[in-house]
Amino acid sequence: MNLLANKLIINYPYFAAVILFMIGALTVLTRSNLFKKLLGINIMESAIFLLFVAGGNIRGGASPILDNTHADAVYINPLPSALMLTGIVVSVSVTAFALALIIRLYKSYGTTDARQIALMRDEVTRK
Amino acid sequence: MTDSFTANLPVYVIIAPLFVAIVLPTFARLKRLVQGLVLLVGVLGVAGTGYLAYMVLSKEGFPMIYSMGGWPAPWGIELVVGNLGAFFLLVVSGVSLPVALFSRDNLTVEVGGKERVARFYVFYLLLVGALSGMALTHDLFNVYVLVEVATLSCCALVSSRKHPRAAEAAFNYLILATLGSALVMGGIGFIYMITGHLNMGFASQEINRIWQHNPHVVWLAFSFMLVGFGVKSALFPLHIWLPDAHSTAPSPASAILSGLAVKGYMICLLKVLYNVFGHSLMQEFAVHRIMVLAGTIAILAGSISAMTQDDLKRRLAFSTVAQVGYIILGFGIVNTKGLAGTLFYLASHAVIKSLLFLSAGSIIAVTGKKKVSELAGIGRKMPITMATFTIASLSLIGIPLFSGFIGKWHLLVGSMEAGNFLPTAVIIIGSVLCAAYLLPVIRVAYFESAPQEDWKDPGFSQKLALIVLAAATVILGVVPGPFLELATRAATDLLMR
Repeated sequence: MNLLANKLIINYPYFAAVILFMIGALTVLTRSNLFKKLLGINIMESAIFLLFVAGGNIRGGASPILDNTHADAVYINPLPSALMLTGIVVSVSVTAFALALIIRLYKSYGTTDARQIALMRDEVTRK
Repeated sequence: MTDSFTANLPVYVIIAPLFVAIVLPTFARLKRLVQGLVLLVGVLGVAGTGYLAYMVLSKEGFPMIYSMGGWPAPWGIELVVGNLGAFFLLVVSGVSLPVALFSRDNLTVEVGGKERVARFYVFYLLLVGALSGMALTHDLFNVYVLVEVATLSCCALVSSRKHPRAAEAAFNYLILATLGSALVMGGIGFIYMITGHLNMGFASQEINRIWQHNPHVVWLAFSFMLVGFGVKSALFPLHIWLPDAHSTAPSPASAILSGLAVKGYMICLLKVLYNVFGHSLMQEFAVHRIMVLAGTIAILAGSISAMTQDDLKRRLAFSTVAQVGYIILGFGIVNTKGLAGTLFYLASHAVIKSLLFLSAGSIIAVTGKKKVSELAGIGRKMPITMATFTIASLSLIGIPLFSGFIGKWHLLVGSMEAGNFLPTAVIIIGSVLCAAYLLPVIRVAYFESAPQEDWKDPGFSQKLALIVLAAATVILGVVPGPFLELATRAATDLLMR
């Protein structure tokens, strides 16, 4: 029991990632406001970024810049961080595209609420 | 010179559409040039992939492994032109060219002005490039990036019509697809954490060595991948975005989304399941049973929902949900016959579904009627369009002499060999249900009296595209020869690990 609690405490970044992911997924699935859905997506992606970066981290490790003075130092793994840079770029473009779509929806429906859009759908489409 | 060209061909196949997509907006006003460039890329793509497939079939030093930037495997990114890659490349280039041909005249009706058409083609080419990349890539993170490129261009294609419904469908699609890619990225993260590799080959060796130490992480990776790619490829309970997205998109976009994009995600899932985890690990965790079950539910639910739709394109979209079920079910049948049948079915469905969407699109563009019940007598007014629609329907149902039959037959034999009664029964029931939702369309079109309207077959390039696709499904059904051979070899490769 004690061992399990210890493990959980040591691995707190993963915990944080799981909680963030759940907050994000819940927001996406339950909120009807389009902006909130988008924020949920962003929170969810941050959780995955955290998971990756935490996976590459070594506590007390040096930053992975090779120099001859500390040749035997323990370096953290730079690859996950580099990968997440790509992930962040993707996330930014998704956000930009979703915002553009929200603007278009607002122009044609006059609201950013998914439920109201569903109600008005037939009316606006017929015009 | 020729040697270095051949050696770099896998990269050219991926880079060419992406490069043209980037330069295309510069000529947005010159409509002819834009269309010419798109067709040129399509023709070159077919030539290049045809050559690669020929090389793979004749086994001249293949599988060909290309290390990006000259960095060897564990550090660099690999492209592998194996049997599976060549097979899917052929499907992508073979289907995307007729779609491009069809869209030449159809797009002005469905999308609008020159610049909107150019924008459409930009995303079309990005999608084709990403799908070709998915066929060849051998690196997990590369899979994620390509999946994202494909997702964003799919959403853009859905939203390319200037209609509020299109924007709404695209937004819902974007949100759910991003949820899916977050899950896929999470799954990749778990695999990386326990193996330390992103290269599929190395990750596979490592995961089969150490999975007993971390069975829970392997479980998590499996489920993240299944649900993530399940959302993207519209596996039944996760399909809710698909009917809206595929029915509101312009018809060429629906064709390529239903025909190819969904298949791309499934090929990625197949690679992750068989090339990374391997079939022994899949059986250890009973993932293949889950897939058979999920596929079964998708076939039944998708077909029954398709029957209740009166909107033609929505009916076809729900039919895609059912056919995705077939392919997912086939991925769960772990033997050569079953997998080869599934791959062949995947290819023939790509051809059939794009043909169905294109002919439905040309009917809608000419008549303005979207409902099945309003299509009375179309068969006599637009003979060629409706004839190709009929060929595609018969092929999808699985009538012999059409490509759908060969795929379904091998799938059936494979599932019997696996000794599993459920898929065998469902494959047959699915065919009957498929007939139940497609034959009424044909009945209405041919056997009801036509209204007094001046409806004609669409222009030459659209007719040509329809005929090429219809010919492809007949030819694949009569002489599946080399194509089936490629699928069988790909299945053997997948089961080797």
